[in-house]
Amino acid sequence: MKNLIKMKKIILSTVLMAIVVVGCNQKNKQEESVKPETTQSTSQLYSCPMHPEVTGKQGDTCSKCGMELTEPVVKTEAVSEEVKTEKVAVTPFSVTVDANVNDYLKVKNALVNDDSNGAAAAAKALLATFNAANTTSIDAKLKKEYIEIADDAKEHAEHIADNAGKIEHQREHFALLSRDINDMIKTFGTNKKLYQEYCPMYDQGKSGYWISDSKEIKNPYYGAEMLTCGRVEKEL
Amino acid sequence: MKPIIKKGAILSVVLFLLMQLYQPARNVEYGQVSPMHFTKLYKVPSKVEKILQISCFDCHSNSTNYPWYSNVQPVRLFLDSHINEGKENLNFSEYGTYSKRKQRSKLDRMIKQIQSDEMPLASYTIIHKNARLTEESKAVLLNWMKKKSDSIAANN
Repeated sequence: MKNLIKMKKIILSTVLMAIVVVGCNQKNKQEESVKPETTQSTSQLYSCPMHPEVTGKQGDTCSKCGMELTEPVVKTEAVSEEVKTEKVAVTPFSVTVDANVNDYLKVKNALVNDDSNGAAAAAKALLATFNAANTTSIDAKLKKEYIEIADDAKEHAEHIADNAGKIEHQREHFALLSRDINDMIKTFGTNKKLYQEYCPMYDQGKSGYWISDSKEIKNPYYGAEMLTCGRVEKEL
Repeated sequence: MKPIIKKGAILSVVLFLLMQLYQPARNVEYGQVSPMHFTKLYKVPSKVEKILQISCFDCHSNSTNYPWYSNVQPVRLFLDSHINEGKENLNFSEYGTYSKRKQRSKLDRMIKQIQSDEMPLASYTIIHKNARLTEESKAVLLNWMKKKSDSIAANN
């Protein structure tokens, strides 16, 4: 009986050992795969999320606004490559997308100007454009995708249109609308030159994206309060 | 003058009684909870589910827990119009029928609405005192919802 217990203990400990050894090995592998990056990161520069021109080591603070430097500085070649791959071929449906985007940009510009009534009116126009969109030129597979995007976008446009005077509420819906418009451009392409821009201050960095036709940052989430907060994420 | 008042009073009592005859179907679902339900779809922990049940489902699901005075008209009409509006904007019972995109943005909207104390509606919690979110239950709810939202965002 005693022997049996001893045996059990031995087996158990070997199994445990095996698990530990395997686990450690995996960790080593992970470390290995991470290594090239970490060696790089000792010389890695970080920039301020609001002022990309201010750079320094990790943990430093920005000389302009005091925020921690958290954005890794990526080499410019890598960025331009990324921009190229993002570009989607123009489809016949892009014309419709462009019409939606034009109205969306008017909503954005009204929010930039802290003009809640203007945003509501522009959102109403956007809703009408969505409803008038002719979807017959889309192939069946993409059609479902379009309908889902449009369905969601329409709801947000409706909320922006119905909440004149409550600009914070409008901005919350604008963030979700921007996600839809972004995905629409990604799926169907556009004839326009557009940029995805981002404000890391808004909504704890989670949803502060918007689409613009200009590289110059004009923040629709804060308006005059922090007009130039943000950066260009990518070209669409 | 007096007979007119008397007639008016009798007429309104009769009208009130007649009104009571109108009792439309209730917003109550019998039987099993549908697999399309929010709580089934997201495997909501029981603590969170309990809060949702008390504070949200009366207006945002196919299963309302009616108060006694809902038997009285025209209170019932008012309640029903409220419930219909709530369900139109968000119906937990049919959450699974929304597109993935819509599910995600509805969840994000819930977080924002709860965070800013817009929901549950003040006009509702003034009568349903127990539906008011305490700081603690609000934190439990938001914590879980934010985690869920982040995990959805990470998969996209």
